[in-house]
Amino acid sequence: MSGYRIDGLGRVDRSRRVNFTFDGQAYAGFAGDSLASALLAHGVTLFGRSFKYHRPRGLLGAGAEEPNALVTVERGGGVFTPNLRATAVEIHEGLVARSQNRWPSLKTDFGSINDRLGRFFPAGFYNKTFMWPRSFWEKLYEPAIRRMAGLGDAPTVADPDHYAATYAHCELLIIGAGPAGIDAALEAAGTKQRVILIDENAEMGGGALADPALAAWLERSLKALAEAPNVTLLKRTTAFGYYHDNFIGAVERLTDHLANPGPQSLRAPREQLWRIRAGEVVLATGAIERPLVFAGNDVPGVMLASAARTFLFRDGVAVGRNVAVMAAHDSGWKDACAMARAGMGVAAIIDCRSEVDPALVQEAESLGIDCLIHWSVVGVNGRHGVKSVQVLHHDDFLDRRLPCDALLMAGGWTPSVHLWSHSLGSLAWSDDWGAYLPDKPNEKVRCVGACAGKWSFGSGMNVGHLETNRNPAAIKAFVDFQNDVTAKDISLAVREGMKSVEHIKRYTTNGMATDQGKTSNLNALQLASAAMGKPVPEIGLTTFRPPYTPQTFGALAGHAQGPLFQPTRKSPIDSWAEAQGAVYEPVAQWRRARYFPKPGEDMHKAVARECLAVRERVGIFDASTLGKIEVIGPDAAEFLNRMYTNPWKALEPGRCRYGLLLGEDGFIRDDGVSARMAPDRFHLTTTTGGAARVLNMMEDYLQTEWPDLDVWLTSTTEQWAVIALQGPKAREVIAPLVQGIDLSPEAFPHMAVREGTICGVPTRLFRVSFTGELGFEINVPAGFGRHVWEQVFAAGQAHGITPYGTETMHVLRAEKGFIIVGQDTDGTVTPHDAGLDWAVGKKKPDFVGKRSLARPDIVADGRKQLVGLLTDNPAEVLEEGAQIVADPNQPVPMKMIGHVTSSYASATLGRSIAMALVADGRARVGQKLHIPMPGRVITATVTDTLFYDREGSRLDG
Amino acid sequence: MADTPVRSMPVPAEPAVFSGVTIALAAPCARWSLRARDAALLEKVTGLKLPRKIGEVVGETVCLGPDEWLTRAPAGATLPDGAGEKVAVVDIAERALTLTLSGPAAARVIAAGCPRDVERLPFPYASRTVFEGVEVLLQRDAEDAFTIEVWRSFAPWLWTALTQAAADMEHLPA
Amino acid sequence: MILIHCPYCDEQRPGLEFAYAGEAHIARPADPSALSDEEWERFLFIRANPRGRHHERWRHIHGCARFFNAVRDTVSDKFELTYKAGEPRK
Repeated sequence: MSGYRIDGLGRVDRSRRVNFTFDGQAYAGFAGDSLASALLAHGVTLFGRSFKYHRPRGLLGAGAEEPNALVTVERGGGVFTPNLRATAVEIHEGLVARSQNRWPSLKTDFGSINDRLGRFFPAGFYNKTFMWPRSFWEKLYEPAIRRMAGLGDAPTVADPDHYAATYAHCELLIIGAGPAGIDAALEAAGTKQRVILIDENAEMGGGALADPALAAWLERSLKALAEAPNVTLLKRTTAFGYYHDNFIGAVERLTDHLANPGPQSLRAPREQLWRIRAGEVVLATGAIERPLVFAGNDVPGVMLASAARTFLFRDGVAVGRNVAVMAAHDSGWKDACAMARAGMGVAAIIDCRSEVDPALVQEAESLGIDCLIHWSVVGVNGRHGVKSVQVLHHDDFLDRRLPCDALLMAGGWTPSVHLWSHSLGSLAWSDDWGAYLPDKPNEKVRCVGACAGKWSFGSGMNVGHLETNRNPAAIKAFVDFQNDVTAKDISLAVREGMKSVEHIKRYTTNGMATDQGKTSNLNALQLASAAMGKPVPEIGLTTFRPPYTPQTFGALAGHAQGPLFQPTRKSPIDSWAEAQGAVYEPVAQWRRARYFPKPGEDMHKAVARECLAVRERVGIFDASTLGKIEVIGPDAAEFLNRMYTNPWKALEPGRCRYGLLLGEDGFIRDDGVSARMAPDRFHLTTTTGGAARVLNMMEDYLQTEWPDLDVWLTSTTEQWAVIALQGPKAREVIAPLVQGIDLSPEAFPHMAVREGTICGVPTRLFRVSFTGELGFEINVPAGFGRHVWEQVFAAGQAHGITPYGTETMHVLRAEKGFIIVGQDTDGTVTPHDAGLDWAVGKKKPDFVGKRSLARPDIVADGRKQLVGLLTDNPAEVLEEGAQIVADPNQPVPMKMIGHVTSSYASATLGRSIAMALVADGRARVGQKLHIPMPGRVITATVTDTLFYDREGSRLDG
Repeated sequence: MADTPVRSMPVPAEPAVFSGVTIALAAPCARWSLRARDAALLEKVTGLKLPRKIGEVVGETVCLGPDEWLTRAPAGATLPDGAGEKVAVVDIAERALTLTLSGPAAARVIAAGCPRDVERLPFPYASRTVFEGVEVLLQRDAEDAFTIEVWRSFAPWLWTALTQAAADMEHLPA
Repeated sequence: MILIHCPYCDEQRPGLEFAYAGEAHIARPADPSALSDEEWERFLFIRANPRGRHHERWRHIHGCARFFNAVRDTVSDKFELTYKAGEPRK
């Protein structure tokens, strides 16, 4: 390989050639190359188009700080990853990468017209331009902006990869494996501390990778760390966020760098999310060199001096054959000399300072480098690469042409305090360092090395804009390369009244997006400081936010995809329903069988069939998900008496009662039928969705308000499988299966509970009905739920037993006017509103929520009350949630007086039924109300909520 | 028609074997939740020796809270229900099931979803905690031996989560 | 994710094991029916919502299951201390 590869330099493995493509063109690099270094070695300078102006862009940096060279890497089958930094993409055999934000090609990009229209795109452009007319936004502005702007495309196919996640704990977490981080790890190696050292790169070493003098030390140190049993080394791992109590989020990349990660089914997770809790954190995140601000500083081939040094010494690639250096800091001189000594052609060092350490100058001159002190670059010639630069002597203000093929910027150093800032550690401005340095920690954390401002690169001068002899209004000198923010934009923002750095950031977009101001923040501050005439520390600093660099959604999701997306609770009878082809619906975290379609049936037909089966014969329903709480203790009845609206003390063992639970605000929270099993033992039931909430609420009162009561609560939701058997034949079905319980209506009346056995399994058998039919709820130990269900189902065949789901359950209960908490109530419904006054113990001195039932707004007229609605057209099924009006001819916006809460086609009644919350509803019984729908108005008559079997004659079968 | 009742379990009966860990469903057992202000009274009622410190395990009995214990026994065992006493004894045998994780990678597999410092848990020790948002009772019996008790309805999800984590572990050297 | 010291378990435990339960030291009146509408309103709705030191309740819901009290700084989100339910305000 020829081009810009320098023999004898770099850590890439020259015995292993790696073939890849970029924008369809075939290239070869070496194992260990990044996409950036491999392309540079071929003399490629053009890597992308800028965000807003579509300007040609090359590499600025050599690592995570790279703002320009964002590429898309193909992963096959339409899967790709956009917005990867070319400097962080490891090449592998067969890698396919492409540039972004250009059309039709990188070299010929129509969008670059934006660059010439630049004066129409000033800071705040979006805020100013697209205000009106409003109708233009959707059709014109937004699609146009979306096509032109942006950072790559989002993939449209599902991600085939899987991701892992883990928690990890350590006494010492070190972030950044440069010399400072490695030293900190070595210090702790061999101790009892668990140490984790993480680094974002493929190889640990940080700055040492670009310093041949440290190669032996690095090898020795990494070997010692690898051998230390208490040290975990995580390379290719980015600590992206620092959260409370030393909790750090990091993503380890596991397969993207592999040429052949194997077939999908056998493949390692693509990435692993590390959730690390550390006793102490050491930030060794280093520092990032600052660009300098001058016209043409974004031409491909203009880059950071430190990046050029890294490409040369780490990768063996020279960024040019005859480079110039524009310095405001000693480090530029040191880098230039080091590179010149290694054989790279360095034409000149330009330094804007009036004085430079004579030793540096002497060394540079001895290497044949032209030294232009008190000079600045004022222009760069070349479009897709540097041909020469214009340099200006500060004294005569005349510029001259300096031929070179790359320009390296050395503007000083910015400590990488992003993670420190996430942890809410404070920063203090240091004039000496010309940077914000970590000051007071907010967690157990310390910074070491360059991140703490401890660097050995010498000193420099902070400059905003370099001196220029050109009209500052006519040049583009970039500050934020990723967001296309220029020096002009910053001064315009200040002129237009942006006084706070946070406002300037939002107005100009400086420091936003994936880049988070890594290379731009300090320069923007210098410029704002100059424009406002205020020192930098008075301007403040914008807040760095996680993630430090972009991370995949897959990594953040971890295992939570596919069947693990979220926990799905399954009842003990779920597997039977699945085998029967049940259609499910989610209810809280459960999946519940909604209906059991027969071939050719839709939901409507299946539900009609199931409903009629229950009314005419018998239906079987899985009610296992109902919340259940065992309430035990000498004060159990007293406790329930205080919690529920109705009286509990006189309830006899063996009997059940409907319980209504309010919040202290007087609104219905939950309901359910509960049984007294013994004087000091109750079996409570709650709604499926309310189970955990009710237990929490009851525990709260017990633990904190009435700790004197001797009562204990135990969730038994999952102890019992519950099989509801409803319909006139219910008793006949279970009679042969039950032992030890007299099932006769006299011995076992409605709202009673008995203990015995069914199918050889102990049961708590409830005689209750949520359908209005004769009904039983068979509670059996969960493990035997399916067994008992199957036995009952078999025994029921002779009686035409039919399994039914939640949809049928909803219809049947609505026919009887039974409410569902959370559907017919919404957290603002009192017992009176819901027509449940009968369930409120009038004589009880107190219960939870009682006082609120006398609040002025609760006793006021005009509250919404639950009523029935019968549509004029019996075939019309109202939409749940539909709004109700009294006068359909009033002008829009109409006064809405309520809404439909439940609505079904009732096969039993041969017509539709609905329940609704309507203002003064009960006073409107008999009135016609109107439900406006798109294009028409439905009329319905207000009724009470009891639609079927008004006498309750069916309860005994 | 009343054959011997058939017990159904929501996770496979066959253990899932990985190079560093075996995940298996434990045999069904009796379980009771025990509550009382006065541990001594509860000991008298049940005849059990109760640990007094949260997290402590004595025999088959675990202290879960200041007034709460869990005790286990072979399936079919009985315990007095303490009727009339200031105690609560509730049969929760069927509420949960127990998965055992054994092998050198067991702690790492649990750490995939549990925010506790699993590796440094003492043993024997037991405590409620969470695995990716699902409440579990995590018990450590030995360096390489853990059990996770989970409510039955969550068990299929937890089984999948643990076996997936264990499968991933094969690719991720410690 | 924060760490919270449970005063019953006497251990620092991950925040995921806990549930927030509102402002602390708001006792339910012994006889709510004796309260005026204004007094009941104060009990029901009015909360301190301070900037800074906040007395609040938490429950170690996925641990020992106990409710307890805490003092947390609402600006820094740091817990100053936690103590058992029933103990006086600290």
